[in-house]
Amino acid sequence: MTTPFILGEALTLGLASGPACMASCGPVLVPSLLAERAGLRRNAGFLSAFLAARFLGYLLFAAVAWGLGVLVSLPPAPRLLLFGVVHVLLAGALLWYAYSATHACAQSCAGSELVSISVTKKRGVPGAAVLGFLTGVSLCPPFVAAGVRAAGLGSVAAALLFFALFFVGTTVWFVPFVGMGCVARNEAVTTVARMAMVLIAIYYAYLGLAMLMGRRVYGY
Amino acid sequence: MATKARTPKAAAMAPRTIGRSLLLTLPIAFWSLLMFANPQRHSNRAPQIASLITAVFMIVLFFMMMRTGNTYRWRRWFFVALGILFPVGFIHTVMVMRGTMGLPIEEMIAGRTPFCYLPIPLLILPAAFTKSLVFPGSILPSGGMSGAGMAGMAGLWLAVTLVLGKGWCSYACFFGGIEEGMASVPPRAKLRKIDPRWRYGPWAVLLAMVLLSLALFEPAYCMWLCPFKAVSEYVAARNTVGMVQNGIFVVLFAGLVIALPLLTKKRTQCAFFCPFGAFQSIFNKTSVFDVKIDRTRCSPCLLCKTACPTMSLTDESIVRGETLMSCMKCGACVDACPKQAVVWHIKGTEVAGKPERARLLFLYAAWAMAVMFGGSIIAEGLATILHVFV
Amino acid sequence: MKLRAKLGYSAAGITVLVALLVPFFLMGQFTKGFASLGLHVDEMYSGGPKVRTIQTANYSIDIHRPVFPHMLQTEKPFVQLDWKPVSALPEHVSDAVDVDGDGQSDIRVSFDVPKDAKTPLRVNVEALNSHYQSMQNVGKEKFSSLIVRVDDAIVVRVPLACP
Repeated sequence: MTTPFILGEALTLGLASGPACMASCGPVLVPSLLAERAGLRRNAGFLSAFLAARFLGYLLFAAVAWGLGVLVSLPPAPRLLLFGVVHVLLAGALLWYAYSATHACAQSCAGSELVSISVTKKRGVPGAAVLGFLTGVSLCPPFVAAGVRAAGLGSVAAALLFFALFFVGTTVWFVPFVGMGCVARNEAVTTVARMAMVLIAIYYAYLGLAMLMGRRVYGY
Repeated sequence: MATKARTPKAAAMAPRTIGRSLLLTLPIAFWSLLMFANPQRHSNRAPQIASLITAVFMIVLFFMMMRTGNTYRWRRWFFVALGILFPVGFIHTVMVMRGTMGLPIEEMIAGRTPFCYLPIPLLILPAAFTKSLVFPGSILPSGGMSGAGMAGMAGLWLAVTLVLGKGWCSYACFFGGIEEGMASVPPRAKLRKIDPRWRYGPWAVLLAMVLLSLALFEPAYCMWLCPFKAVSEYVAARNTVGMVQNGIFVVLFAGLVIALPLLTKKRTQCAFFCPFGAFQSIFNKTSVFDVKIDRTRCSPCLLCKTACPTMSLTDESIVRGETLMSCMKCGACVDACPKQAVVWHIKGTEVAGKPERARLLFLYAAWAMAVMFGGSIIAEGLATILHVFV
Repeated sequence: MKLRAKLGYSAAGITVLVALLVPFFLMGQFTKGFASLGLHVDEMYSGGPKVRTIQTANYSIDIHRPVFPHMLQTEKPFVQLDWKPVSALPEHVSDAVDVDGDGQSDIRVSFDVPKDAKTPLRVNVEALNSHYQSMQNVGKEKFSSLIVRVDDAIVVRVPLACP
């Protein structure tokens, strides 16, 4: 049976793609980790929520695209539209998160909850989950490489398992980010993180708008 | 807690005698002649005259620093001259070689983009991951505008940083003099209340640009945010995005380098934006020289805080007796203090034990670098102007 | 004097000496050090190393190794071809090029060579198999698909077809 080899391939592809995944998630992950409260456990909690939501984004996109049979052959125009919307949403989430982080710390920095992005007046969603999910559906090049391979498998279940193992391989590279919990959090660190998020959000907004206007970026 | 109070300006340090000042200036005079007096280097009269003028200029400024005991005022002359004459020389060279300030893609492919020190922190992570330098230059000189090559500029940067730490921003940066000049024009600041959190701006820009440079594999600051493209060179716009980028450079230059320094009398680009400055702040930890406050003499009147062009003194830091790590060692606070409580200092020694000794040692090192690097740029810019007449 | 103060003054003195050594020794050593790190300019700019040369009667075509984008670089993968020397090129060049060296032509590249070096160049590329992308009347808008004159060569970059 070839399954163990294919699964091994998925894991290896994930491990090899790790640096690219770190680079593409870094602009979102690093400032938002720094804007969170200090502590290894809290940062591990943030990272877990981020990666879990990213994983969900991966699987959702993969299942829908595989089911429609268009993962590889999605025409350029709808592809650009989709990614443009995702980038604009990511920019919005980053800005909202930067704003929420100010208020979270103002109320109680001793709390253990992750910074929440308010959905309604009473309830919020952990910002880590929102950012992780949007990063997961923004289709970075390693994801495309995994998608090309997974599209050739016999069933949607096999494709999803391939993606899951690919994801595990990339996740190994994210473990060191937990160490950012050791960085002391003071006004300087959190302000720098929030300012950086605003700058990065502006860039993602530009990318999203460019894609919505039909301009290809990332070469595809 | 430091409180604000107005105190009359006390008498400054008594000036040194002319003889003693000349004696202390002699090493710098020898150094300047060594750096500039090279008959084989220049065959034309204009560069020879420019070298002589520059050598005399640097020697006179150092003499005045020794004579008056004042550092900031005389250093500022050098720094403003550097900020004005670098673009003169650079733009002239670019126009002669290419006929345009716009950098064409051909030059980028040929590896002839001159390398500036500003992208150094952005190149580290991509190089660490892939051994690729995300800059369209050459490692070693390859003709045209490639200059000393990327290795040459990096070598120069490391050597000068070892000596000066963040003093680079006061003695080596060939852009900072423009805003320092602008900041010194108005007699009083029109905008005096500045939120101190803007001081974190350079770190935020550094973090964002480092992460985006790794993700996009391009020098993100050079492509999007460098205000000094307006006075050096920029990527020739090949499409709408290029035009937008060039527009951003001009707006940032006009705002951060011209308008805000005029309004605030601060080096706003350096204090609130420059990512390279934030990067250099790290090297203040490795530098042996710093600035301290003798709390037995301090009133506190907060004149040092007002004088600092980069807001590197806060009420809390004054109580602690030190500057923030963003201190550029320009000397403004030392010269502004009426009680001589703010002093030059060598790490490990007593605060205000022998401040003048610390100042001398720092200035010998800093001025040697200034003559070697900034001085050569000033001479080149002067030669460009003198060519018209000679 | 306390030990710390002695060390401080010694370090300050050494710093002054180091300053004097910068132009005569240190800068050169650091430059050599950086040059020996084994770094190279990103291939998106440099075009990648040359791997083959096709020799025609009067001129040669250098073929470079295909360049693939790193991380999220906003360019497509491409292969660079150099026609040189420019002085030996005819007024109109139209060459079928075997890029991968398998004996089969992969692309047909056509461009005019103006006498005036400042005249902008335009290129048409016809892809003869699915690995390459065709281009019509392309100038120098993007790093991954362009035609430019660099010194004594005409450089053409042909984008590779994406999956």
